[in-house]
Amino acid sequence: MAGSKKIKKQDLARLLSQWSQEFSLFVPSRTSGPAEMTEYDGQDTSFLGWYRNTIIPPKASFLPHMEEMFSFHRNKQGHQLELPPSDEQKRLIFAIRPCDARALTILDNVFEDAYQDPYYRGRRRRAILVGLGCTNPYDSCFCTSVGGGPSETTGVDIMLTDIGDELVARGITKAGEELIARSNLARATKADQKRAEQSQEAARQKVTRKVDTRDMASRLQAVFDDRDYWQQLAAKCLSCGICTLLCPTCYCFDINDEGSPEKGTRCRSLDSCAFPDYTKMPMENPRDEKWRRVRNRLCHKYEFYPMLFDTIACTGCGRCIRLCPVNWDIAQILEGVPELSQAEGPK
Amino acid sequence: MTITDISQRKRFLAQGNVYLPHIAVIERIIDETPGIRTFHFNFKDERLRGEFTFESGQFGEFSVFGVGEAPFCISSSPTRQDHLGFTVQRVGRVTNALHRLAVGAEIGFRGPYGNGFPINNLEGKNLVFVAGGIGLAPLRSLVWNVIDNRAKYRNVDIIYGARSPADLCFKYDLDSWQKDKTVNLFTTVDKGDDKWKGKVGFVPQVLEGVAPSADGAVAVVCGPPIMIRFTFPVLEKLGFTPEQMLTTLEKRMKCGIGKCGRCNIGNIYVCRDGPVFSYAQIMNLVSSEY
Repeated sequence: MAGSKKIKKQDLARLLSQWSQEFSLFVPSRTSGPAEMTEYDGQDTSFLGWYRNTIIPPKASFLPHMEEMFSFHRNKQGHQLELPPSDEQKRLIFAIRPCDARALTILDNVFEDAYQDPYYRGRRRRAILVGLGCTNPYDSCFCTSVGGGPSETTGVDIMLTDIGDELVARGITKAGEELIARSNLARATKADQKRAEQSQEAARQKVTRKVDTRDMASRLQAVFDDRDYWQQLAAKCLSCGICTLLCPTCYCFDINDEGSPEKGTRCRSLDSCAFPDYTKMPMENPRDEKWRRVRNRLCHKYEFYPMLFDTIACTGCGRCIRLCPVNWDIAQILEGVPELSQAEGPK
Repeated sequence: MTITDISQRKRFLAQGNVYLPHIAVIERIIDETPGIRTFHFNFKDERLRGEFTFESGQFGEFSVFGVGEAPFCISSSPTRQDHLGFTVQRVGRVTNALHRLAVGAEIGFRGPYGNGFPINNLEGKNLVFVAGGIGLAPLRSLVWNVIDNRAKYRNVDIIYGARSPADLCFKYDLDSWQKDKTVNLFTTVDKGDDKWKGKVGFVPQVLEGVAPSADGAVAVVCGPPIMIRFTFPVLEKLGFTPEQMLTTLEKRMKCGIGKCGRCNIGNIYVCRDGPVFSYAQIMNLVSSEY
């Protein structure tokens, strides 16, 4: 461990103010209602007291609920298109949880493939993620079952561990190490590091929700055509879409025009595979029935996305469990997907 | 199924903002049927007119500013670059807005997207084109492509049908293919009228009657889902293997580039991995939601 540093919690405001000179700094906040990452106001670090995770995932800083893609207007020469000012902000997301940082790497696969998404990429490219390991995970968290953990470092540039009055900071990427180096932080002692390790281990023990996700893609494939099975699972779903809109790895979007042919904007907004209109065509709808939409959501995360990118598109953050109005519990559902019989074997 | 490597494809608009459409102008409007129109268009930017290339079977995202975008296949042939065309049935918000446009109106275009027909694999083959209604739109691009390179292909059969004589699209094409001694056209309608002297019957039945040989042949099928569902078994009966049958799938799309999510069938995105698939590929899809 190349020289961990530490931050006294009482000095955090000063450090954040310093960082906010260089970055658009986002911290957990609940002043607007649901907890989300909002721009640092220069003083309030009270989130250290209440923050477990945000309700609105940090993906919103990169893939906003709604954004203008371009505007258009018509003059004598015809239609003129204009891009919004390019987003040159260097973002620093402070205290992002490991599950949400890893979720961004899952979005990267989609938005930075052969067709680069200029909006997402522009925001993401220069962003620094400062992770804060969990010390108080929710009952609904199951990150350790899907390849993550409360102090997992995938996607973060700096990893912070809460050891009481102080945060131990470890550089994970080059950018993170450089930021630490120029932030004038005190060196973490051997004892600090020991306490950090203990804190991390304790947190890991607190993630008590376990789901056996081995062979999950094959298990889902085996029940894929069992309509009764899915109808039963989908029965209580309201198709409200909250599980997808607030999921840190869901990225589906809609594109719509606002205004008139004379003057308007083309906008992108989050969409959800839970909505019947999502796949609706004038003559038919391949997923008009709710069970098909529920099946698609679960299978996309645990079967289809892994087929494309070799990783599960769920980080076990538990938001969809906590926020579902009818308590549709994905971890419970996954546990219930039948094990493969010997004959089927893993595919 | 292998996911086609997108980076290998010709990608117009590969640089810059992929969502920013090019401005194109409607140059001609053809009433195909009471509810279907073909629009000829060309880019405002002179340079793009020269640079733009596409393959038969590829599609674009067409937009009416202030109303929205929708995907349509390019119905003109890459061998006839004097104009580009797309064909639209009036069914929803964007298609209604398109139908209200006049010659000279501006639209947005991004693309071309999708894989297109595997034209190189069709060389040296007997070709059987089976289409219903507006399903002739992607196929006519391929048919003209084949006719314009006629020596590369062997026998060409075209079986095309619509509900009634008034619902037949591209009647001007049907006239020229009828006169063209190098292709065999069989036109049929589900229900004739006083003036109709041609075949009456559903496309799959007519196909069965024509009975093209499966030997060294490829069948390309485009049309309403119900027609496709009844056509595949007929082709199988005629000895076509699933690899010898091609079709295009239709799904709701927004981005056209495999990101917005909605056109998936399992792990496949119709916009990016299709819209052209062989029946063999379709049978292997993890989901039957096609």
